[in-house]
Amino acid sequence: MHSLQFSVPLLPTSRFKRHSVRCASDRQQLFNRIAPVYDNLNDLLSLGQHRIWKRMAVSWSGAKTGDSLLDLCCGSGDLTFLMSEKAGADGKVIGLDFSKEQLSIASSRQYLLSKACYNNIEWVEGDALDLPFSNGYFDAITMGYGLRNVVDKRRAMQEMFRVLKPGSRVSILDFNKSMQPFTALFQEWMIDNVVVPTATVYGLAKEYQYLKTSIDEFLTGKELEKLALDAGFSYARHYEIGGGLMGNLVATR
Amino acid sequence: MVRLSQWLLKEAGTGVNKTLSDILVCPLSKQALRVCEEPPSLISDSIGVSFPIKDGIPCLVPTDGKILDTDDTMKHDNAADDSVNNK
Repeated sequence: MHSLQFSVPLLPTSRFKRHSVRCASDRQQLFNRIAPVYDNLNDLLSLGQHRIWKRMAVSWSGAKTGDSLLDLCCGSGDLTFLMSEKAGADGKVIGLDFSKEQLSIASSRQYLLSKACYNNIEWVEGDALDLPFSNGYFDAITMGYGLRNVVDKRRAMQEMFRVLKPGSRVSILDFNKSMQPFTALFQEWMIDNVVVPTATVYGLAKEYQYLKTSIDEFLTGKELEKLALDAGFSYARHYEIGGGLMGNLVATR
Repeated sequence: MVRLSQWLLKEAGTGVNKTLSDILVCPLSKQALRVCEEPPSLISDSIGVSFPIKDGIPCLVPTDGKILDTDDTMKHDNAADDSVNNK
């Protein structure tokens, strides 16, 4: 049986104390473990700002009424619900994630929110590296805090390219790996002194220490633009938001 | 809570709705999938693998797939032939 699980090589040096979360199944288990407190921690740690960044990501995607939309690495569904509001009753939104626990929470939220337009959402457990969709299906794709966590970012971009209609956009929101020393230092300080201590209260210190490693291993804005262009996108632009702590890559097929 | 459980059971019972089964393809071969009612699953005939549906959510991570043995695929072929003959 074809298996997607493989390890990325350990980086030779790192300033950061690191919990090794190398292969896909480690990351899957990590997201299963944090699922119950994920939403609360997002609110707490970003002081509610993540809601604004997510609205921006959806705007950038170009999603509109009647569209077929995909939210990748949907987690507990924040972006999916925003996309659902854009698509309306005639549209369709797929929320895809590889964590059963996160999808279960997303599905429960859909039921509890019980807004009629959320009936246009379907949840799928799937892998961003092998999307279960045919070519050129979607009018827009969003991906929030997901690209940094996939083990093969190039392949993820290629799959997004494949399932997008020509002329359509992908909008990828994530932490920004800043080239500005002050921003990078501030981000590191925030994680060490705010994020991890808060996560420790919930018993999730190691899981949130992973955040620092994953940002360290992530790509800068320029590198992300190149990644998109290499995957075949005709246009790619990375926007820094949230005071440079966050970034949003917008790419057009 | 009772309403939620009832809703989840209903979703699990109906498997996956038709619209979704039209949109989804096999994550590996990218070919069409066939819905199986019992046990609720999506069958990729192109590669002989079945993917489960749990609580109404299709599980299409490649490692979720179960390779069908020849008996299973033959049973499905016979069922398909029967339904064609009966029409």
